[in-house]
Amino acid sequence: MVTPDSNCFNCPAHNSANLVKLGIDMSNFDYVVALAGNPNTGKSTVFNALTGLKQHTGNWPGKTVGRAEGAFQFGDKRYKIVDLPGTYSLLSTSTDEEIARDFILFGQPDVTIIVVDASRLERNLNLALQVLEITDRAVLCLNLIDEAKRHHIQVDDRLLSKNLGIPVIPTAARQNVGIQDLLKNIHAVATGEYICKPYRMRSEIKNVSHAVEDLNKELEAKFPNLANTRWIALRLLEGDQRVIDAVRSGEIGNLTPVETENS
Amino acid sequence: MNDVEEIIQKANKYRWEIGENLHDAILESIYTDAARIADKTVTRQGGKQKFDWDRWIDKLVTGRWTGFPIMFLLLVIVFWLTISGANVPSAMIASLLVDTIHPLLKDGANFLHFPWWLSGVLIDGAYLALAWVISVMLPPMAIFFPLFTLLEDFGYLPRVAFNMDNLYRRVGAHGKQALTMSMGFGCNAAGVIAARIIDSPRERIIAIITNNFSLCNGRWPTQILIATIFIGGAVPSFLAGVTSAAAVMIVAVLGVLFSLIVSWALSRSVLKGEASAFSLELPPYRPPRFLQTLYTSLIDRTIMVLWRAVVFAAPAGVAIWLVANVTINNVSIAEYFINWTDPYAMILGLNGVIILAYIIAIPANEIVIPTVLMLTVLTTKATGLGAGAGVMFEMESVNDTAALLHAGGWSVLTGINLMLFSLLHNPCSTTIYTIYKETKSMKWTLISTFLPIVMGIVLCFFVAQFWQLFA
Amino acid sequence: MVDPIYALSIFSALLIILLVLFFPEKGIITRWKKIKSQTGRVLIEDALKHLYDCEFKNLDCSLNSLTGNLTLKADQTASVISNLESMGLVTSTGNKISLTSEGRSYAIRVVRIHRLWERYLADNTSVSETEWHAIAEEREHETTDEDANRLAARLGNPLVDPHGDPIPNADGVILAKQGITLNNLEEGKYARIIHIEDEPKEVYAQLTAQGLYPGMQIYVLQSSKEKIRFEADGEECVLAPVLASNLTVLPFTEKESVQESFENLSSLETDEAATIIGISNAMRGQQRRRMLDFGIVPGTVVHTRLRSLKGDPAAYEVRGALIALRKNQSDLIHIKKIKEN
Repeated sequence: MVTPDSNCFNCPAHNSANLVKLGIDMSNFDYVVALAGNPNTGKSTVFNALTGLKQHTGNWPGKTVGRAEGAFQFGDKRYKIVDLPGTYSLLSTSTDEEIARDFILFGQPDVTIIVVDASRLERNLNLALQVLEITDRAVLCLNLIDEAKRHHIQVDDRLLSKNLGIPVIPTAARQNVGIQDLLKNIHAVATGEYICKPYRMRSEIKNVSHAVEDLNKELEAKFPNLANTRWIALRLLEGDQRVIDAVRSGEIGNLTPVETENS
Repeated sequence: MNDVEEIIQKANKYRWEIGENLHDAILESIYTDAARIADKTVTRQGGKQKFDWDRWIDKLVTGRWTGFPIMFLLLVIVFWLTISGANVPSAMIASLLVDTIHPLLKDGANFLHFPWWLSGVLIDGAYLALAWVISVMLPPMAIFFPLFTLLEDFGYLPRVAFNMDNLYRRVGAHGKQALTMSMGFGCNAAGVIAARIIDSPRERIIAIITNNFSLCNGRWPTQILIATIFIGGAVPSFLAGVTSAAAVMIVAVLGVLFSLIVSWALSRSVLKGEASAFSLELPPYRPPRFLQTLYTSLIDRTIMVLWRAVVFAAPAGVAIWLVANVTINNVSIAEYFINWTDPYAMILGLNGVIILAYIIAIPANEIVIPTVLMLTVLTTKATGLGAGAGVMFEMESVNDTAALLHAGGWSVLTGINLMLFSLLHNPCSTTIYTIYKETKSMKWTLISTFLPIVMGIVLCFFVAQFWQLFA
Repeated sequence: MVDPIYALSIFSALLIILLVLFFPEKGIITRWKKIKSQTGRVLIEDALKHLYDCEFKNLDCSLNSLTGNLTLKADQTASVISNLESMGLVTSTGNKISLTSEGRSYAIRVVRIHRLWERYLADNTSVSETEWHAIAEEREHETTDEDANRLAARLGNPLVDPHGDPIPNADGVILAKQGITLNNLEEGKYARIIHIEDEPKEVYAQLTAQGLYPGMQIYVLQSSKEKIRFEADGEECVLAPVLASNLTVLPFTEKESVQESFENLSSLETDEAATIIGISNAMRGQQRRRMLDFGIVPGTVVHTRLRSLKGDPAAYEVRGALIALRKNQSDLIHIKKIKEN
């Protein structure tokens, strides 16, 4: 159990109590890693490449139903990896999206891997940016880089990393290309060697800036530890019951980001 | 915590001012950012001069004149490969498990002085059912599904859904149902699982409930055998092959028709209130990895078939052996039941043997015919056929089978109605279990189970009565 | 052997009996259920709702109007009223019946549940819009407060029902009425439909058959005692003033920009390009959110890439992905074509 005032540098950041509530037993593991991504980005292939499972994965949207779990070891650390359902978004109201959102927001995984299709980056960034709104520790897995190349699409992964403030690793999971690099970066983010500075939404949202600013100020005053009060304000304005309840019970204030522990 | 309540109240007040289009605005803003970032980091080389293979394939496989022929051709190839490829390994597995190992096990049991009932229950019952399911099911499954998986990996299947959606939209279903239905031709349980690809809840449940109308692998052999004996036997011999093949195709097409009609009826009645949102993404084509796909798919299917054989078929084998061997006043339970149900079954143009076979062989359609044969021998007291009460068997020659069934009182009507009943009856217990696991709903499981059997009884009744009226 | 004539006749008789019993809506079982449901709670709640409706519209409510609304006999209505009075929910002075504050909050609760159900049916199901009201009318009496709150949470605590009526919140706070009816809107004015009255059913069906929905932008071409002619989402409609009075509109303020003219995505030919202007408000709930998730937001450039055999569905390239939409979806997506030279 991590308390807000624990001042260690590379201790796990996940919320064990909430993870237990979400059905994840962490007793034999050091870190928990969540795997998020659009359907059809080879998310399950990445999962298999990381865990060494030989499960069949198809070219299907929405193949993973519910949650699959696996494990891997890197260095001397044991990782539990949770494959979240493939979703296009975290903001809508389908069950899959709720599962994924609640896991990242309340389970506070040590690292969230966002798998995107390099050949359709713009579309996939929708989910990636939403994930970055609710977690501080993420790695972008720029998958299907071989397919992108075949379609003459090139992605500048360094520039992308600089823009998003998280490690960006080009991979071709089906050929096992880039997986070692991915593991290294997961490890770096989990242990705190790499401090993410996640991109937060900048474009102004029509007609609501005043309301957002106002709520933002109040939330900051009430929950000084909270990393992204602007996002919480937007959720309140959208009438998201799960977030309203979390604000009401104070649960939201107990979610502590890594940066505040270090700064 | 009062100030928290104030924040929430304030947010609620703002909500009334902002209205309900906030979600639209948020997504618009996220996409503005996404576009900005993507513009900076993504470069396209070559641009439009390069020949776009994806676009070319798309035009071909969804084209007005080419789309449907390609679809049909691929389906025929998949079936042909499955049927012709499965025959030899099926026969090999059968000769190994049934003809070689089964007698060995019996000898072993004798050598160890097993009581007759123990070796009967375990070896003639459980083992034989298990062996049967594996030999009938494993080879076609191991060919059919990897082929599908290859098409799936390539990215072709969503295009089939795209082509077929117009038809399925009219009956309130999703174009992807064409795919789950096709997989049902291999195995209904696999078809039910495949319905996961449909992300709209209502359409997914429709696909699950109607999957049973696809004639599965366990039922094709029944159809072919009965059609050969009764339909082929009723026409001049030079037409026999064509006619019986046509009869089987008619039953399969009838199944597709029923699946459409039932989809239509369900979407307008019990499922009207379920959530429904159509979406279909056509992913880019990707070269499939043949060896890896074949390997993983083969392992997956083998495990599935073995699991099913052990969990569902083996207990059914025990039940089959017991009903044929437990006797009261020297008459087996099976005979009691058959004599009791026979008059009622006659109203449906079936007979007591068929009814009992379908009840105790719920777990697996592929053991229905062996059970039917065994029970027929039991009731007709035919000598020299089969291997004793409770031991399922199949015969080498179709003619011998025909002779036995005719001796059991079967007519052309019995044949036709058995074919219809084999199409329209409850799903096998593996499928029922899978439906429950996938829907987590007793209601849909019960509907999927009882709807087809009620339809089957009604249809058989009509066919039988009109047959008797005019013939 | 049973004679087939007998068998068939017995079966047909059985079938007829089953149909008479279980036929949807007209079957004996449903009718019997409906009669049985006209019990205390339903009558009380319906009466309160009617009284609240009168209050909301500033009309006086009498025993007569109530009798008509509840489809009861006068003496039965009287007993309902005296029942309500003894429960302290209404007071009656002479012919006028009015709600007490307890009665009002009870009524608002029922209204909340009713509108939540309508919203649910509109957003999440394929039940046609003419049936929303009737189904909500049944469910409002069977829903507890906790269920209603859960429903609201699931829907993202919606503010208005699909007809544009505000949904009271859990504390019974409801927004005051806004806007004017369409027959009072002057010629040459732009306005937005904010509410379509869903009773009487026939009128509502007529209005929705014209394709009118809350959120639609209209422009009045001609307004007279005989007819009102207006443009709605670019198409011309004509209504009798009686019908028009069932539409509430909010005239555009100065700073609100009038939406430019547009076409529908379904009209985009293969390999043509267009910019998305917006999604019609007639696309709701899950369906709308899915479109937004695909990146169908104002400003997005789309190309039509493939058409299936009958042109429905068609596939569009949106932000690098190929997405198939049915015609009933692409009809609701507004675009401006990009002329390519």
